[in-house]
Amino acid sequence: MGDPIGLQDLFFGTMAGAGVVLSGALYALFFALTRLHGSRAMNIASLAAYLLLIISVFVMANALALSGFWILVSAVMLIGYFLLPRAIWHLCVGTHAAEAAATHSRATQ
Amino acid sequence: MSTSTVNVPVASPLTAGQRIAMHYFIAAMVLFLAQILFGMISGLQYLMPDVFYNQLDFNVTRMVHINAMIVWLLFGFIGSVYWLVEDEAKTELVGAKLALINFWILTTAVAVVVVVYLFVQVGPGELKSIWLINEGREYIEAPRWADIGIVVCVLVFFYNIAATFMKGTWSGISGVLVLDLVALAGIYCAGMYFTPNISVDQHWWWWVIHLWVEATWEVLVGCIMAWGLIQTLGASRKVVTTWLYIEVALMFGSGILGLGHHYFWIGTPEYWLSIGGFFSALEPIPLVAMVVHAVYDSGRHGFKSANHPALAWLIAHAFGNFFGAGVWGFMHTLPQINLYTHGTQWTASHGHLAFFGAYATINIAMIYIALQRVRGNVWMSGGLSDNGWKWKWSLGLLNGGVVGMTVALLIAGYDQSFVERALEGSTWSGYFQAQQSAWFMQAMNWRMVFGCMTTVGILLMFWDMLTIGTSETRGKQALAPLPE
Amino acid sequence: MNEVPWWSSETLWRKTAIWVTAFMAVVLIVLTFDTVRQITAGGERVPAYNVINQKIFYEVNSDRGYQVPRIGETSALFGNELNEADAEALVTLGKLTVQAKNCMNCHTLLGNGAYYAPDLTKAWLDPGWVNEDLREQLMVQFLMDPENNARTFGTGRRMPNLGITEKEAHGIVAFLKWMSSIDTNGFPRGFKPLEQEDGA
Repeated sequence: MGDPIGLQDLFFGTMAGAGVVLSGALYALFFALTRLHGSRAMNIASLAAYLLLIISVFVMANALALSGFWILVSAVMLIGYFLLPRAIWHLCVGTHAAEAAATHSRATQ
Repeated sequence: MSTSTVNVPVASPLTAGQRIAMHYFIAAMVLFLAQILFGMISGLQYLMPDVFYNQLDFNVTRMVHINAMIVWLLFGFIGSVYWLVEDEAKTELVGAKLALINFWILTTAVAVVVVVYLFVQVGPGELKSIWLINEGREYIEAPRWADIGIVVCVLVFFYNIAATFMKGTWSGISGVLVLDLVALAGIYCAGMYFTPNISVDQHWWWWVIHLWVEATWEVLVGCIMAWGLIQTLGASRKVVTTWLYIEVALMFGSGILGLGHHYFWIGTPEYWLSIGGFFSALEPIPLVAMVVHAVYDSGRHGFKSANHPALAWLIAHAFGNFFGAGVWGFMHTLPQINLYTHGTQWTASHGHLAFFGAYATINIAMIYIALQRVRGNVWMSGGLSDNGWKWKWSLGLLNGGVVGMTVALLIAGYDQSFVERALEGSTWSGYFQAQQSAWFMQAMNWRMVFGCMTTVGILLMFWDMLTIGTSETRGKQALAPLPE
Repeated sequence: MNEVPWWSSETLWRKTAIWVTAFMAVVLIVLTFDTVRQITAGGERVPAYNVINQKIFYEVNSDRGYQVPRIGETSALFGNELNEADAEALVTLGKLTVQAKNCMNCHTLLGNGAYYAPDLTKAWLDPGWVNEDLREQLMVQFLMDPENNARTFGTGRRMPNLGITEKEAHGIVAFLKWMSSIDTNGFPRGFKPLEQEDGA
């Protein structure tokens, strides 16, 4: 636990905290849409969301004067939110493989 | 793809389990109304402290408000499980009569508890009061006799469900469900003893509160959702089951030690600051996973539903869970922030959105699914005779009302942490100064306005529930078969 | 192609769910043993009940960077120095009363409860009790007759009459004094306690 934080820091800290979860989810959303439609616009949107996530994490770390272990937690969030949507998408494709195969074989019969 | 056929309703009588479920659903809705009624009185007491002073004080109205909520949500869950058990086990309910008796005992006990809350209210400082009147511990105020009764009733419920699966067939969903019910009943016992040591008291108290709402309830909802997805969207059982396991791994993986974020300031050791902070950072993971999966699914077969109100409430559940539990939770969960927000209206703000978004919505969706069957498998898709204005408006009013209350309480919470905690050093005078500041009082007024909006929404929803489908002549919309 | 890869098979994830849950539960249980040991009354974090015989200060600990309770010289509550058993009995009466009167649905204790009335964690140390000599008497009066002695600071939010007896009031004061000695990791931050004479 770092030093006491001021009034403004409390405001920015909480807003950035909300920003982390929101932009993390937005990134996941646009990432998934990019995979689904392969559209460039979605890809750019997902990068923008991730940029927002980076900013949120930095603002939060700054406002709350994070240090040591808490920097590590911030880093885990940054890396985790980047990798997680990829892993989950992979799992989606994997788990639905049997279902996809069934549709495919029915369509070709 | 969209071969929506309009046919005549094919009514089929409710099964034994579904009849029990309807009992629970009706009782749940009555308690929902009680929750809102007492919530309104509590809110009003913030504005006019003399309302019912020395007759029905805030400690009583607020207790009924939160207890009615816990119990109606539990009734909704129990009802939902009774609704799906026979379908999932592919056999008839074991002990339908026992289930009915159990329902009446439980409901009578709840009524007695509420009457005692309202008319006896408080007792002398003796163990007797805790056994007979109320336990005075937030959320689990029910007196000890009722605690024991609740556990017995839950065990009877558990027996009914497990025995039905044993007689019929087991599945991945029922396996998770039954194990989760064991945990649900077991954890409740952690809240059933007296100790003068407030730190030990709150340590175990959080086992019940946190491990219920942030672990076992979430998984119970996961089971109901899994069954619902197979039923309403025709999703593949194998895929749904695999995803239920993935969600269990993610929820318990982050949620069990997420308990640490309640162990920051109650006398518990400092290592909980790190553990609680770290696992809180992980808790949005299951929610993010759901976002990706939902997009993937929608891309594969689009959304098509034979029950629009239920689907709308399921979508409200997805958003409510994400914002209430995910965003509002993480905003104030790191210890650096929580030091200022703990024990302020922040928690009330988070509580309102999270309980409504994650749990009230899913129960309402289940009730709409049940009502479709009750009214004889009627049409509940688009183009209802009255354009479905009642369910649409009640959905809007309820969600808008709760979101409005949440934002108002958030503003009040900010103001309170600024004035009371940061400026005034958390003294009593600091507390009251915060309560009288312009922003706080404005926020409380708005909370009341949105509370009224919520109330109107509920009344409208009840009207809709009583009437929807009663004069419908078309049968349930048939969905195009989805890939196996 | 139509095979589900091993890393997304139902069996693997069933096992994963079980192992993750079991592992987390075991970690929680291990931590619980340590935590309960540390918060049992009589330890460093949660003092023994006879701490009510002593003065309690709340001041900055420079190593930890925030305020923590410090136990001072003897200062018996209501002028009676109690042995450990009697002190525990008095605090127990107070805690029972706090539960039976449903205090937690207006107040917060250690920050948990309702937000209609002030937090009670450091109520014993609140500057609102004017000074050390008046404190005990004011607290008892307040508890027994809140209608006339409520400290509402102009909000009109009075505590209701809960029928608290003098004995119960003494118990509550003992409980509050004992609670203020719990090490709460600096909560509430920046608290400005009542000024007390420090003979240490």
